[in-house]
Amino acid sequence: MADIATKERSRPKAAPSPWKQKRPKKPGTGVASLNGKWGYLFVAPFIGMFLIFGLFPVAYSTKLAFYKYDPLSLDQAWSWVGLQNFKDILADETFWISLGNTFEIWALSTFPQMILAIGFAAILRNRFLRGKTFWRTILLVPNITSVIAVAIIFGQLFGRDYGMINSVIGFFGFPHIDFVENSFASHVAVAAMITWRWVGYNSLIFLASMLAIPDDLYESASLDGAGAWKQFRYVTLPGLRNTITFVLIVGTIGGLQVYAEPLTLAGTNDGGSSHQLSTLTMYLFNESFINIRYGHGAAIGILITIIVLIISLINFIVTRRVASEDKK
Amino acid sequence: MSKKKFNRAVAAAALIATVGSGLLLATPARATATPVTLTIWTFGDVIEPAMLRAYKVIHPEVTIALKKADLDPSMTNLTTSCAAYVQSHRVGSPPDIAAVEVSYSGYWRAYPQCFTDLRTLNTSSANAAAQSLVASSSNIAAGLNATDIKPNYLPWRWEQGVGYNDSVLGLPTDVGGLEVAYRSDLFKKAGLPTDRAKVSALWPTWDKFIATGKKYMTKVSAADKKKGIGFIDNVGTIYAASMNQGTYKYYKNNGTDAGQLLYKVKGKMPVYDAKTKKQKIDPKTKKPMFTTGWILNPNITKAWDYTIKANDAGIGTRIGQYTSDWNVGMTKGTFATILAPAWMMDYIKGQAPTTKGKWDIADLPGGGGNQGGTQLTIPAWSANKQAAWDFMNWYLAPQQQLTVFKTYGLFPSTKSIYNDPALVNYKDPFFNNAPVGKIYLTGIQKLKPIFEGKLERAIDQAIGAGLGRVAAKKQTSLQSQIQVLVDLDKATK
Repeated sequence: MADIATKERSRPKAAPSPWKQKRPKKPGTGVASLNGKWGYLFVAPFIGMFLIFGLFPVAYSTKLAFYKYDPLSLDQAWSWVGLQNFKDILADETFWISLGNTFEIWALSTFPQMILAIGFAAILRNRFLRGKTFWRTILLVPNITSVIAVAIIFGQLFGRDYGMINSVIGFFGFPHIDFVENSFASHVAVAAMITWRWVGYNSLIFLASMLAIPDDLYESASLDGAGAWKQFRYVTLPGLRNTITFVLIVGTIGGLQVYAEPLTLAGTNDGGSSHQLSTLTMYLFNESFINIRYGHGAAIGILITIIVLIISLINFIVTRRVASEDKK
Repeated sequence: MSKKKFNRAVAAAALIATVGSGLLLATPARATATPVTLTIWTFGDVIEPAMLRAYKVIHPEVTIALKKADLDPSMTNLTTSCAAYVQSHRVGSPPDIAAVEVSYSGYWRAYPQCFTDLRTLNTSSANAAAQSLVASSSNIAAGLNATDIKPNYLPWRWEQGVGYNDSVLGLPTDVGGLEVAYRSDLFKKAGLPTDRAKVSALWPTWDKFIATGKKYMTKVSAADKKKGIGFIDNVGTIYAASMNQGTYKYYKNNGTDAGQLLYKVKGKMPVYDAKTKKQKIDPKTKKPMFTTGWILNPNITKAWDYTIKANDAGIGTRIGQYTSDWNVGMTKGTFATILAPAWMMDYIKGQAPTTKGKWDIADLPGGGGNQGGTQLTIPAWSANKQAAWDFMNWYLAPQQQLTVFKTYGLFPSTKSIYNDPALVNYKDPFFNNAPVGKIYLTGIQKLKPIFEGKLERAIDQAIGAGLGRVAAKKQTSLQSQIQVLVDLDKATK
């Protein structure tokens, strides 16, 4: 027993920790060296994941965009085609239809959704509202529902012959609307799904931003004789300006990625008989994985990136102008 | 060693050998039972889960992982998996068995490197030994390869899984067949005959079928027409039904992997302006310009024309199949006829249980018909080829197919049981006791093998979309054909 006790006591001397050893020798450099070397270890999981799932696919698909790639070919899988993929895509009518559809769906979903969300937020901000937590939770529920489930249920609502919406339309004596074949109506249907799913989420963002507006502003406004509408117009809305920009940017990024809703509604990968429901992402998927033209798919991906860059630039300019207006 | 001792030793050795081999014969499954997990990629109801449970009883060592997807995505997954094998030589990734739909068979035939030639595999003794455990299971002898079991199957279904070098890429599962399911109560209301022989006599051809539809529609009130009541659920189905009655579609067998695309070879088509999509006018003669184009197959043109004719006659409801409207319409009597493969009967029963006894089955216009079909393949990268082959042989054996037919209505692809009384005399009370077995049997035996080309699925979709545009009144038939040509240019480039 005594032996063990002495051994244990002597262990720190026999195998001193490298940290403890270094620290007294080089005071001041200990923590710095720790950051320098061990820091890499701590960020390694992210860097590793980013390299594998972020950078590598980007580099790979950039290469792919300039090649014709036949993955099942035994001898010649890769053949250099230069800019041919891009030429093909830009000459393809479906690309332009998909681009138009994407922006139409984006506009139809983003703007009504923003108005609704601000409206909901204004109601929720009401001091005299009962069961606030309940209403906030209810608003967020659509957002945690599976996209596919939403799309299937809405697809039934929008059914041409027996859908609930057309039953109502038919009850008032109007002809049924074909929410799949009719281009504009189908976009409204998809926009309705997106709005239903995201309006609650955006309401909460607007609500948080509204709650940050100091009550004094409202008090002084009401002292000046401003009614509820004027308070909203001249106090709430200006206070929300940055949030509106944020929601707009996030909505644009989401709008360019719309996929599951139109796919489920159309029921086909090419977005219906005249591609009326095809979006950019659907077009990308259809070209790469249904028509097995990976080069085309990669080229579409790059084109989408360029579109996002252009939109971000516009956003940046608009935001800066808004900010400079604030300073005035 | 004395002679006596030697004899004893020989006798003992012989005894051990006999008993030993007897034991081996008695329990070979257990003796060789190493746990195997078979991954199967399918779509729809190609594989019936209840049959897998039966297999589990016979082969406790085999675990089957069934992964279902939609048809197109499942083919995409298979492409990705094969790419990993061809480009990186990765072996052992799933699946061990992949279901391939017939519209993709031409595509896959061009890539035989993705599949195992089923002539190279021989059944093990596993099934033969397990046979004694389950009485209803049919005997699968050891040592069978694809050539040995070929005589069991319907010839034209078998051919759909055969590659150009005669390699066997897949075994046929059920046969779709195609007949007309009709609502006798609605026929009676419209003053049409209800007896299935008389109904079949109404439409020996597609023209007569459309004429019958028109007659039916004259009895439909204007208000009902406005509600969308029609004779057939979707006129688009006429296209595929009529097309499949030929011996080739968009490709002709020329002995190559892909076949010869019969497109823009000959035939009269308008010269179109790519931008305005209108027919060009010859500047000199001021007459509309025509050129060679379209698909050089009179059967395709005929199928297109029948569909357009049916559409113009207004006999269809334009409801897409497998949509919620279709399911509701089946019960509500929105349409009186559906072109139904054998497996669709089960779907109708499930969706419209209240219409029991109101349905009946009549012959397809224009002779026998078929829709779809699936082959089970073993990818070249499977690590469990032996177990996969044993399973496929059991699952697609005549006895099992008969069980599946009785339970799920999938029509067997094994002709060896086509005179089995259970099949021939099978009547379905849901369909007014129609002799379903006999009707489908007659239909599928009229068919010949159809050549399937490489990009058939894409061409089918382009033409299907074209017919959809005409049905939705977005384009005229001619405009739509012009658009189809633009799409085909893209698809086949």
